[in-house]
Amino acid sequence: MSSLMLTLRESVRYRGRGGHYSWIAHRLAGLGILAFLMIHVWETAMANYNPPVYEYAIAVFKHPLFGLGEIGLMGAVLFHAFNGIRITLLDFKPEWWRHQAKSVTIVWGVFLVVFVPIAIYMLSGIISHCGHGANCWAFPTYPVS
Amino acid sequence: MTTYSGVTHRKVQVQSNFERYAFLFMRLSGIALLILAVGHMIVQHILNDVHSLTLQYVADQWSSWGWKVYDMLLLFIALPHGINGLRNVLEDYVHGESAVKTLNTVMAIFLIVSLLAAGFAIASF
Repeated sequence: MSSLMLTLRESVRYRGRGGHYSWIAHRLAGLGILAFLMIHVWETAMANYNPPVYEYAIAVFKHPLFGLGEIGLMGAVLFHAFNGIRITLLDFKPEWWRHQAKSVTIVWGVFLVVFVPIAIYMLSGIISHCGHGANCWAFPTYPVS
Repeated sequence: MTTYSGVTHRKVQVQSNFERYAFLFMRLSGIALLILAVGHMIVQHILNDVHSLTLQYVADQWSSWGWKVYDMLLLFIALPHGINGLRNVLEDYVHGESAVKTLNTVMAIFLIVSLLAAGFAIASF
């Protein structure tokens, strides 16, 4: 356990300038996407195998807390995608390594420019859904009527 | 051997092995996912939001061969990309040989069962 704590602490400790934070963010985004993907694959398969379970799953996903998670998922996919382009380009173009620091800034810049408007749009969708009278905070019960 | 302002670049012949293919797979599948996964997020989470998602919507989409192929490609590229990523992350923190072997076996079984179950769900809808 102490070795795990050491690993976690040393993973976060500042070591490699901007690229180190990109590395952490890439990992966390990837793990987060995979966590949802594993649920999503099985939940969507239920549209075929067990429709009431599918109906319940999508009712849960319409809850505002999952809506916030959906915004997080969007951010994770976008960052992982943009940073993945950077990693792939640098893997195959060693002569660009001298621009490494700049490439990190570019990825964060492009990510923010693309993600912030989308996040605002998605957030406004949650807010307007909750404004339509129905108690949007009520958690669905199984089976969904 | 070429040197670019401080960066020495030397081409070496690497023998083919599993890790090399895994490395190349992550790059190639990553490029495919730029279109498939980002496209999926735009279509399903921005253009259509979760509040308009119903069983009927899924039935309408999977009545079209194009969407079936799209979702099938996404499934068969995204899940292996994610599981291999998890394997890479775990390898950094789990060092015991038998523990790594057990985790790899569990992940491989989960991957294959998920691909078969979800792939059949799409194909037979």
